[in-house]
Amino acid sequence: MRNPFQEFRSLPYERKELPLNRIVKGKEAVMAQILEGYLRLVEEEVKDLVWLVEHSRVVKAYTAAVKSIRDLHYDPDDIDEFCAELDSSNRIPYMISGPAGIYISALVNLSTEDRITLRLKDFQRTFHFLGYRLPEGKTLILQGDVGDFVGAGLSGGRLIVEGSTGNWCGAGMMKGEILVTEHAGQNTGEWMRGGEIHVDGRIRSIGKTLFGGRIYQRERLLAPQDLSGEI
Amino acid sequence: MDRPSSKEKDLLKEIWPRVRRRHLYPELPHPVWEENLERVALEIKEKRISLSRGFVEEMSQVMDEEEVVGGLLDHAVSHYLYCPWDFSTHLKLYSEAKRVLKDKQMAMRATDYFMDVVADTQCVSQKESPLPRLYAHVKRGIMDEAIHALYQRIWGVNLGVEGYEEVARKLSRLPYLDRRRWPETIRRFSKVVQSLLEMEERFGGLNRPSPMGSHGLQNYSSQEIEQGLKDLAAASESPAEFKEIVEDFEEDLLEAASPNERGMGLGPGRSLEADILYYMKLAENYNLPIRKTPMHKSGSLYPHHHVPWEVGRPFQDIDPWTSFGKIMPGITQIWERREGEVFGEDEGTPDCIVMIDSSGSMINPRQQLSYAVLGAACACDAYLRNDARVAVYNFSDANAGGAQILPFNRHRFEIYRAICHYFGGGTKLHLEDIEQLQTGRNPDIFLITDMQITNLEALISYFNEHANRVTAVHIGDNEHVQTFRRSMKLRKNISIYGVEKKEDIPKIVLGKIQEYFARPSG
Repeated sequence: MRNPFQEFRSLPYERKELPLNRIVKGKEAVMAQILEGYLRLVEEEVKDLVWLVEHSRVVKAYTAAVKSIRDLHYDPDDIDEFCAELDSSNRIPYMISGPAGIYISALVNLSTEDRITLRLKDFQRTFHFLGYRLPEGKTLILQGDVGDFVGAGLSGGRLIVEGSTGNWCGAGMMKGEILVTEHAGQNTGEWMRGGEIHVDGRIRSIGKTLFGGRIYQRERLLAPQDLSGEI
Repeated sequence: MDRPSSKEKDLLKEIWPRVRRRHLYPELPHPVWEENLERVALEIKEKRISLSRGFVEEMSQVMDEEEVVGGLLDHAVSHYLYCPWDFSTHLKLYSEAKRVLKDKQMAMRATDYFMDVVADTQCVSQKESPLPRLYAHVKRGIMDEAIHALYQRIWGVNLGVEGYEEVARKLSRLPYLDRRRWPETIRRFSKVVQSLLEMEERFGGLNRPSPMGSHGLQNYSSQEIEQGLKDLAAASESPAEFKEIVEDFEEDLLEAASPNERGMGLGPGRSLEADILYYMKLAENYNLPIRKTPMHKSGSLYPHHHVPWEVGRPFQDIDPWTSFGKIMPGITQIWERREGEVFGEDEGTPDCIVMIDSSGSMINPRQQLSYAVLGAACACDAYLRNDARVAVYNFSDANAGGAQILPFNRHRFEIYRAICHYFGGGTKLHLEDIEQLQTGRNPDIFLITDMQITNLEALISYFNEHANRVTAVHIGDNEHVQTFRRSMKLRKNISIYGVEKKEDIPKIVLGKIQEYFARPSG
């Protein structure tokens, strides 16, 4: 009797290993580690799902974030994808904007790339604390509107916001430069010690306490000369 | 379609069986040659692949003709076998792309390219295909360059593309071969290619099809289109969401509609009423059961099933066709007869009067998903499927002319149009209008309302006086609902259901009566 499957004997049945499989597998492993680090951070820092912005808690969260990603090998695309995961994925049970922004900042600061662009306008959520402690030699470009405390504690890096910022932009920044192409919120530059903030649009108010640095609106110097509040 | 030369015919005759074998014999008709495909290599219409003679001739200057034809067929078969597979998947992918790109042309283009990447990658990963060699020689636009740069990266081949490294790097991270993640993958794919599509739009290249052809609805059978619309309706959160996607395919849908569907409102020369189509397709997902009227034994016997013949049983019931011509216990089969059943005084499913409340307290079905309209649509669908006729009484303030009556008929689209009509006024019905629709055969009545009817007492009296099987569905709960429930408690021919959410609708059983064989007097 003739074997009806004889025809198929000569057909190749082994799936070829395309580079795609390796790339996808590799980046999924990295993403799993990044997500694990974030979830650990949230579990440690936000036990009651409430996260109050206090200087000590911000520093502690950042230190924990740095610790969990120090040995990771990732690239800017991984950071971009992590933002997308935070925005819409069901792999993340809770997204808390403060710690999420601090974690993204840690990823940016520890990245081997000097220039990183994040397309935030694609996302529904607002991220806070982006550009936190951005170090010297790094440029972070944020496309779209951002939340509060953007560029807080900036440490010499260059932060470009192609959109508007929330309140407390550049709070406590040490040195470096923040460029905002649209508007800035209240308390811009509060407690800043150095560096420059340039805003092309409106600034709702400048911080009451500035220890140094300069704030410009449409290339006109507003601070340190004018600290009167509403512009 | 042109008459192919004997050489072209032989080429297809020779290559097509090889391609079919390579893809484990897909059920596709024999491909044909096409003279008039000027800008694309191939086209698929109702599953038949047409190859562009011009394209193959042009490509055969730089590579073996057999490889060109083999590559094109691989591409087409892979679309059929893997991505998009069916119209439902195509629509899902398109709706995800549209969500990101917010533009019909761009979303269609992104969907086409995404499906090409998935189908081609699947083919290259599993078969010995000449596709990479073919891609090395095709003419490319902006998007093609980027996609071929991606192929270089994920297939590990050299297609002669330079540049587009960032786009290719970002695109190469996506799990194209993981079907479950396609919705998320196409969203990310669309985000990455958005700037390129915008560039193409600026240079007027958005209307130019990709070299391997675009994917229109002509690829699908009318059954696939039906199923796709059903799935889309179920996945859409509102009529507006469904409408947005369906209207993008309006021309294709009207063109692709089968003669049956033309009777349902689709077809060339008619505009597409997407809101009505939404409820129509959504209702098809539910399949509400209908209790038929009781049956009596007919008294006559008919052959029901086979059993082995035993010695002593009558010969006349032996079935020679299944007994191998032998009279032998255990081998010979005999017909077992059963008494037949016929319907009682009303055979089959009765007709139905659908009474739907479209007053101001009800949701406007064109703005949001209306459970009332969906419930009524499900009831209509169920009765029509069971060969019964449906009449519609859509009421708001009937005194002020806010009522619409559609006599008994089986025109699906007209029925759905009547139930989708929204008056948005007060709530009062004319019982004379219902009475006009009553026939001697006691049609079923399906009422769906929030019960905030000014003359509810009159309606209760009407139901008390009539023997129709009534399925009353109330949306939400209020004191009027309680009054209605209390008043109808003793009636055996009335079933009452509450609908708070979409999931409550399948629980409705049409024509269910509490004591089935105890028919109400009168």
